[in-house]
Amino acid sequence: MESNKKYWKGLEELHNTKDFAQNNKNEFAEPLPIEEVLNEAGLSTVAPRRDFLKALGFGLGAVTLAACQRVPVHKSIPYLIKPEEVVPGIPNYYSSTFNGHSVLVKTREGRPIKLEGNPNCILSKGGLDSKGQASVLDLYDVSKLKNPILNGKGATWNQVDQWVKAELNKVQSAGKKIRIVSSTVNSPSTKSVIADFVAKYPNTKHIQADPISYTGIIKANENSFGRAVLPRYHFDKADVIVSFAADFLGTWISHVEFNRDYASNRNNASLKNKKMSRHIQFEAGMSLTGTNADTRIPLKPSEEGIALINLYNALGGSLPGAKKIASNPNADKAIALVAKELSAAKGRSLVVCGSNDVSTQTLVNAINSLLGNYSTTIDLDNPSYQYVGNDSEYVAFINEMKRGEVGAVFFLNSNPAYDYFNAKDFSEALSKVALRVSFADREDETASLCQVVAPNHHYLESWGDANPVEGYYTIMQPTINPVGNTRYAEEGFLIWSDAAVKSYYQYVKDNWSKNILPKFGSTWKQLLQTGSVYSGQKKMNAYTFKHDLSVVAQTIVNRSQVLSSAGDSGLELCLYENTVIGDGKAANNPWLQELPDPVSKVTWDNFVAIAPKYAQKLGIKEFDLLTVKVGNNQVTLPALLQPGQAMGTIAIALGYGRTKAGKAGSGVGQNAYPFLSFNNGTIQAVSLATLTKAGGSYELAQTQTHYSIEGRNIIRETTLKEYLKDPNAGTGRRFENKVDLWKDYDRPGHSWVMAIDLNACTGCGACVVACSAENNVPVVGRDEVRRRREMHWLRIDRYYSFEEDGKSVTEENEIKRLDNMDNVSVVYQPMMCQHCDHAPCETVCPVLATVHSSEGLNQMAYNRCVGTRYCANNCPYKVRRFNWFNYWNDSRFDNYLNNEFTQLALNPDVTPRSRGVMEKCSMCVQRIQAGKLQAKIEKRPLKDGDIKMACQQTCPTNAIIFGDGNDPNSEVSKALKSERTYYVLEEISTRPGIGYQTKVRNTVEV
Amino acid sequence: MRSVSLFFGSVKRVFLVLSLFFVGGVSFAQSVSEGKALFQSKCTSCHAVNRVVIGPALKDVDQRHDEEWLIKWIQNSQKMIASGDAKAVALANQYKPNVMTAFPELTPENVKSIVAYIKEEGNKPATTNAAGAVDGASSSNDEVSDFMLGGLILVIVIAFLVIIILNRVIKTFERLLLQKQGVALEEEVVNETGKVQKLIAYLKLRAKNKKFIFFIVLGVVLVLGTVGWVGMWNTDVHTGYQPVQPIKFSHQLHAGVNKIDCQYCHTGAYKSKNASIPSLNVCMNCHNYVQATDKYNGEISPEIKKIYRALDYDPQTKKYGSSPKPIQWIRIHNLPDFAYFNHSQHVKVAGVKCQKCHGPIQNMEEVYQYSPLTMKWCINCHRETEVNYKGNAYYASLIAAHEKLKKGEKITAAVLGGTECAKCHY
Repeated sequence: MESNKKYWKGLEELHNTKDFAQNNKNEFAEPLPIEEVLNEAGLSTVAPRRDFLKALGFGLGAVTLAACQRVPVHKSIPYLIKPEEVVPGIPNYYSSTFNGHSVLVKTREGRPIKLEGNPNCILSKGGLDSKGQASVLDLYDVSKLKNPILNGKGATWNQVDQWVKAELNKVQSAGKKIRIVSSTVNSPSTKSVIADFVAKYPNTKHIQADPISYTGIIKANENSFGRAVLPRYHFDKADVIVSFAADFLGTWISHVEFNRDYASNRNNASLKNKKMSRHIQFEAGMSLTGTNADTRIPLKPSEEGIALINLYNALGGSLPGAKKIASNPNADKAIALVAKELSAAKGRSLVVCGSNDVSTQTLVNAINSLLGNYSTTIDLDNPSYQYVGNDSEYVAFINEMKRGEVGAVFFLNSNPAYDYFNAKDFSEALSKVALRVSFADREDETASLCQVVAPNHHYLESWGDANPVEGYYTIMQPTINPVGNTRYAEEGFLIWSDAAVKSYYQYVKDNWSKNILPKFGSTWKQLLQTGSVYSGQKKMNAYTFKHDLSVVAQTIVNRSQVLSSAGDSGLELCLYENTVIGDGKAANNPWLQELPDPVSKVTWDNFVAIAPKYAQKLGIKEFDLLTVKVGNNQVTLPALLQPGQAMGTIAIALGYGRTKAGKAGSGVGQNAYPFLSFNNGTIQAVSLATLTKAGGSYELAQTQTHYSIEGRNIIRETTLKEYLKDPNAGTGRRFENKVDLWKDYDRPGHSWVMAIDLNACTGCGACVVACSAENNVPVVGRDEVRRRREMHWLRIDRYYSFEEDGKSVTEENEIKRLDNMDNVSVVYQPMMCQHCDHAPCETVCPVLATVHSSEGLNQMAYNRCVGTRYCANNCPYKVRRFNWFNYWNDSRFDNYLNNEFTQLALNPDVTPRSRGVMEKCSMCVQRIQAGKLQAKIEKRPLKDGDIKMACQQTCPTNAIIFGDGNDPNSEVSKALKSERTYYVLEEISTRPGIGYQTKVRNTVEV
Repeated sequence: MRSVSLFFGSVKRVFLVLSLFFVGGVSFAQSVSEGKALFQSKCTSCHAVNRVVIGPALKDVDQRHDEEWLIKWIQNSQKMIASGDAKAVALANQYKPNVMTAFPELTPENVKSIVAYIKEEGNKPATTNAAGAVDGASSSNDEVSDFMLGGLILVIVIAFLVIIILNRVIKTFERLLLQKQGVALEEEVVNETGKVQKLIAYLKLRAKNKKFIFFIVLGVVLVLGTVGWVGMWNTDVHTGYQPVQPIKFSHQLHAGVNKIDCQYCHTGAYKSKNASIPSLNVCMNCHNYVQATDKYNGEISPEIKKIYRALDYDPQTKKYGSSPKPIQWIRIHNLPDFAYFNHSQHVKVAGVKCQKCHGPIQNMEEVYQYSPLTMKWCINCHRETEVNYKGNAYYASLIAAHEKLKKGEKITAAVLGGTECAKCHY
């Protein structure tokens, strides 16, 4: 069955806007000066022959002069005394820890150049998110401090120590309070160091607060079950997942783990067993999780509480405050259906909520308790320590400062001057503190208000540890000597408290040998090799919910009334963390800034997301500058028309608008943190706003609409019902090639192919960063992205389609009549060079710079390319990228390749490309060659899984499988034999080497 | 140059061998020569005659200790120390913690001849170099040949100078004669300008000859064209590139004469893409005590001293200092950046000999680039060389597949895709 559902890359294509139509009509994105050259004046200029000869002569002379360069003398400097384990040219891998996830760090000649997830990690199982992939670049960040700062001037560590100690003694004798403010610390050693410091200075208190807080859940669990913890959620055990605005695939708590668990119920293996989870998402803004949901219902924040009460009552509870959601009948209907589905899956379901409101989360606990999900999908006995911040302590600390009670404050991985909701209040209060110390690695917003900036090591330079979930401990080991004159924050505390052990390495080692390793019967050496120890899951106890819900319900109803008080004229503002930049700590990372936000495909900016119909109502066009105002705070940002955004709401991403992040991240977007509010003891992300047009417009750098799909059948999808009837459902017509222009290639050796499961891919974008890191892909910046010149070899295409009354819209004119664009569904498709057997690019290259290999790869020889760009024009997949500049030697692109420090992160096995040549996915040919060589050296056949692509290795959901198609037992051969497999544009007979597996939606009507 | 110096070297070697024949036959000399052989094989790791190495300098050892004591000591020093011999204990204390190896295999006669050798060696005035074994000759022929060549050049230069001076003298005499005969100098000048005019006139005449001009132009074009063509083809081809290295390291001595395996120093060649220049700790494995003092009047070789200086190592105290400075070698074999080359693939997997690309490295006093390192050169080899697949399980299925297709033809690297772009360019 061929699906004739229509997909759209973006609204531009849907509406066929003038610009879009214009751009699509043209072969090139920018006008070519052909007309000017060929017009009469151009051909009949005076004495063109002489000019031609002059130009020729000058050109020849210039080229000759330029070529008259002496061959540079290359120096070769070997080690004086070579460490035994280092062999130049061979990478070493060390286990370390990123954000509580055990990772493997690839180092070459002592430089970390790439991160991979550690397959031993119980959370990621070898996957890694985009932020983890990008973090290696932060190590070489030039915006970081190279020396400590004391009172605005560079200083030595000795001076800093003397000064801080003297000040601390003063504070101590004055009896004032000392505060250590940090984001969540789950490192046992750091916690122990802080405890030692507190013992020496008893006035000290450690305050943990996260910019994106989960206090609501922790407090709700305390209320409901007497356990003030963040539980571990098991999405793999849930058959029905209902999420109220929790972006658990994008950013929520432990999203890498959740991605893996979530996909395990939806991937090929699961479908083979005729099993697939059902996921229903209620949310206002379109999140990554929402785009993956089987059913997504737009729901305003003000309606969320009522919907939850309705759900609770539909499941058998009886709470006051239940009422029909008049403004959103769809949601009402959906809640009733969801209740039915949930009760049918008791103990195999999971209800999560992204709100940080204690009452809302308490109600969610009650719902989960009704469904018997505790001890099955929610685990309170093996809690997560990934976020332990406490908002009320945070606010209390600011008040203490205001009252002048605090004598000294230390900021560890914390930046309240940027991400505290009332940064002005904070700054004023901070000025009353006598001793202000920041351990920030750069002079960020908070550090520049401190007298002492004692830059901490980057995690790749550090010893350390983490305890992200109960019973799981990971070790962090340094992979390079500190790049700058930095020092462990912990060492600062040890020195200032005159501890006996002043080396933090010794401290960590002692702590592990004394407190952790004996419990696991492991040794330090084993630990460094495996990277982590895990005690296994403790038995989960069943918990009974015990809390009076009537007060809770009343609070929820009140809050809902406040939010909807302004009636139709009020706008509900939702602040969210996007998958790319997160809370803004890594804002100075050019890889992350250039990575398109999965949903909006916007790079290098945040924006006001608004529903197209609602924008039409307000007379707002795309990219119009809007002023959003809440109370006294306001920002001006461009509008982005986001289908699926709930009517009457707008959404703004947090993490942008850093003023002192560094070269790449300062001044990107606007800071939305001031819009957060403190309500009922927690910091919340929803408020009532007003919106006015600021006049003018600002073009966002979006990647998606750069090419048109021209109505081709690129995405194939089906429903679970159809799939169960016929696994071939939705794959479209199979094209048997009977006639062909080209001869078949022999592939006697290997045949490298790839399979991508569209149902496992959640669109998170980790693969894109992994690809950039592996293949030295340049970062081009906002302006160049606007000119459609982004260089990513691998992109994730996002396609919208619409449904009305449960029927997918199949005709173009039907879409135009669509009233409500709420029923949007999204499919992500990773798209890279398809390594076609009959590649259209190869036949048009005049210099044979791109040719086919006997192993099925489409090879690109940069040194042969003369830059005609014929291949890019002839590529139906639009995956070829042209080097418009010498990105590695051009001061306009001072983000990554051009910088002598960040250059150190380059992969030495891959050539950085020069201006004027084409590049594209090489199928990580350097990894293929290295894998083959290893097998040859060991005189053994190549095993399936020996060679992994960078994108495949980092994918948390294993959506990408690579291998030898000639080996019938390889994973990839098996995957490609699946009935769901189809090839993109197979009708034009390019014979791609990459097979996709249909998207399956579990939209079975209940 | 190289061949000339080799020629002189071999001439000298013949002379030395002949002279050794004449010296031989005397029994004393025989025991000394036996002693020398033994000394070199057993003692030199820790001792030298004139200076402290790991153990003491052995000059005048026969005067410090009696023969009987020495025999016992050399055969088993530890036993003597244990028995409480005063001298032995004193020595052991002096050189703590180094312990002398026991040599029970040495007969008293052997020890006597070693002592005899040390005696003779110690009596030699410090300035004279022991002319002896072949290895001494081969490494010293460098100086000899340089000296000889220098002399030869000097002779030629002097000869030229003599000719020029004689010419001038003759001219002066002629002029004097002419002056005596009363011929004016001015006339001579006129005569000379006349010559120039004649030449110009001759050229003008020739310029009118079209055939002559044609051939001249053709010749010039041919010459320039050839030079240009060859020049272009060889742009960035540096065959023969032989930069001066910071240390005069001789592959001829290490790889040729001493037959040290290439991979002893270039450890990466087996396992990595880089063959790698050895780090100095590899040098120190031998040069801790191999100091070539016999060639430098008891001084440590100045080249080996450079290693010590780089490591900030004091050969007297045997301690490493705190300010080492890396040695900046000059890279000779430079592949373009866009070409990936992996040594282990060629050395370990294909079993290609180092000399195939690097030339007769064991004969190179100073290394030069032997192969052109052009793509044509790479590809040619890939086309001609049969894949070393025997006994390598990796190739089993590949070869089986190819045998079917090629039916017994030679399976070269190219047949297995060794000339495809992405084998080297990525």
